[in-house]
Amino acid sequence: MYKSNNALKAATVALLLSGCATQSPTLSSGNVEYGDSKAVETLTNEFGSTDLQTIAESMANSLLQSPALFAKSRPLVTVAEVKNRTSEYIDTKSITDSIRSKIVKSGMVRFAVDTSAMQTQVDELTRQNQTGLYKKSKSKKMGNMEGADFRIEGTITSIVKRADDVKDVYYKFSLQLVDIESGTMEWADEKEIRKTSNRSMF
Amino acid sequence: MSLFIRPSSLALPFVLTITLSGCSVMRSYDDELKQTIDLAGQGQLDQAITQHESNNTGGDYDLLYYLEKGELLRLKSQYKDSAGAWLLADQKVNEWENEAKIRAGAILENAGAVVLNDKTRRYDGHDYEKVMLSTRLALDHLLSGDWNAARTEIKKTHEREAIIAEINAKDTEALEQESKEKGITTTFKDLNGYPVETLNSAEVTTLKNGYQSAFSHYLAGFVYEALNEQGLASPGYRQAIELQPNIKILEDGLAALEARPNLRKPSETDVLFVVESGVAPALSSVTIPVPVIVSNLGVIPISFPVLHSDPSRTLQPSTISIDGKDTLPLAGITSLDTMSKRALKDDMPGIIVRGILRAAAKTMSQKALMDQGGGAAIAGIALNVANVVTESADERTWRTLPATISIARMTLPSGKHDIAIGGSKQPIDIQGSHAIVLTRLLGNQVYWSQPAYGPQMPVYAAPAVIEPSHNTENTAITEPEKKASAKSKKKKAKKPIQQAKG
Repeated sequence: MYKSNNALKAATVALLLSGCATQSPTLSSGNVEYGDSKAVETLTNEFGSTDLQTIAESMANSLLQSPALFAKSRPLVTVAEVKNRTSEYIDTKSITDSIRSKIVKSGMVRFAVDTSAMQTQVDELTRQNQTGLYKKSKSKKMGNMEGADFRIEGTITSIVKRADDVKDVYYKFSLQLVDIESGTMEWADEKEIRKTSNRSMF
Repeated sequence: MSLFIRPSSLALPFVLTITLSGCSVMRSYDDELKQTIDLAGQGQLDQAITQHESNNTGGDYDLLYYLEKGELLRLKSQYKDSAGAWLLADQKVNEWENEAKIRAGAILENAGAVVLNDKTRRYDGHDYEKVMLSTRLALDHLLSGDWNAARTEIKKTHEREAIIAEINAKDTEALEQESKEKGITTTFKDLNGYPVETLNSAEVTTLKNGYQSAFSHYLAGFVYEALNEQGLASPGYRQAIELQPNIKILEDGLAALEARPNLRKPSETDVLFVVESGVAPALSSVTIPVPVIVSNLGVIPISFPVLHSDPSRTLQPSTISIDGKDTLPLAGITSLDTMSKRALKDDMPGIIVRGILRAAAKTMSQKALMDQGGGAAIAGIALNVANVVTESADERTWRTLPATISIARMTLPSGKHDIAIGGSKQPIDIQGSHAIVLTRLLGNQVYWSQPAYGPQMPVYAAPAVIEPSHNTENTAITEPEKKASAKSKKKKAKKPIQQAKG
């Protein structure tokens, strides 16, 4: 009886939810449109969304084929900084975030908090253990964080040249996987991008 | 009868244009702002704001009204009100951006119409003013302690620079095409009597362009660094070096970027001292006879804008003193004076072509009336007089901007410090991992800012333990006891954090 009651409740909720799933009306002035986030963008020759997606896709695919990641069951990886050696304001953290998301989805690796999230992690543990606000049995213990097996780090560089009416930009994104204990480089790859535009674009 | 009607019908639109745009045609912006700046330079900021308001009574406020008002409110340390005025200015610049993206390359539109002078055009701001608006908004947010809002403005600065570059490229192309078609080859060097040397000095010509400043990019680097975004900080410092090469403080900004977080102790603050001096140059009008090849109209007097460097004659300090012991050199990294000259130099081809086309249109209307004779000829003479009276260059420019921006940087123990510039000394409380101390010298006044607390960078150490308050009776702790207590707490917290590294 208990089981059938639960099943009935679940069926009712599902029915209600599916019944409510009507198409929402659209509010529009006619001047704004949603576009394909994967569409190739060539509005200017600055670093753009297509470059970010291309680099993330290429690097994640290459890294997931690295034998180093198969040697251990679901190794723990941390993301160090990708150094920006260009004169462009490229958000390198956004690139590594995309690479990390793709790798995490594969289920092959786990990620430890990186340096930028470390303070939040420390603050949370401190709050749970040292403020006297939490039950000792329910708070997460200090000293149980796991050290990463590998570190991902890299650089992005560019060469910009202008001649008459043409501007040529060459980007090189290099990424490497370093075994933290041994200090050995276990994998490295590069992605190159070239963009050329005429004067009306720069 | 018909002869009598025709001239009046020709002159009517002209008379209407004068009447409708009356104020803007004859307005002398330099005169208006001179009084406001003099008052601010004497420390009478309330009177300066009242004066500014009395110069703008129409109700339909333009971009310049908000630009100048934001600056005056900032001098009063009313950072939130100043940001409010500048955000309204920013809306107007956004409108321009949206329109300009569509009409890029239409730099000469309506130039051939019988318009009176460039003052009747809507004021969209010089390119360097649009960029500087975002930078100054960022400074307002920093002084209010809102580093994330400052980051938003700084990001907007880069996007704005990219839009300006794109529009300028298209406008330059269109201008070259139009000049070629109309056979206009006049450059500002051909203007007999124009002070060419003001736009042709080495410091003006060596600038990369008229709108990007080393200060804006160094500030971007500093803010990104404070927010722990080294990947974005490095291009900020790098671009500052590219814009002003061979300046040590700019080179150190990039070279020590990776080392700095490890060198600074948690109890220290990385302080950027920003010293702004004087006011931006004034624009006046000079009328020069120019041969107008269009329709072979002969030599016609046309007005052109001329820049006059900092009329406030404010001294530019070379050092800043901290607690009476450390003296830091101030590095001049941005001159709005030079930037505005470069901007005018870059704008001159457009001003010349517009001026020639406008003069041609005016002269041909006048000639058409004169050729008809009788009453029309009288209207033609009247039109000629009106043309001479109203021919004047656009004097509008953001005058309360500083003439120069200098910086110094030092890591100091967090807390109160006595900062001195010239004869003026001010105690400033500096807190957080990073802070900005802004000082403005104007006339005989020194305006100091007291920064709100800066951001806290991660130090990878557990914060001091917050003990539940069991004992409220004996809360008085002596200084040595406090130190001892903090030491033991630090010891307790240190071990697990070390384990967490990796």
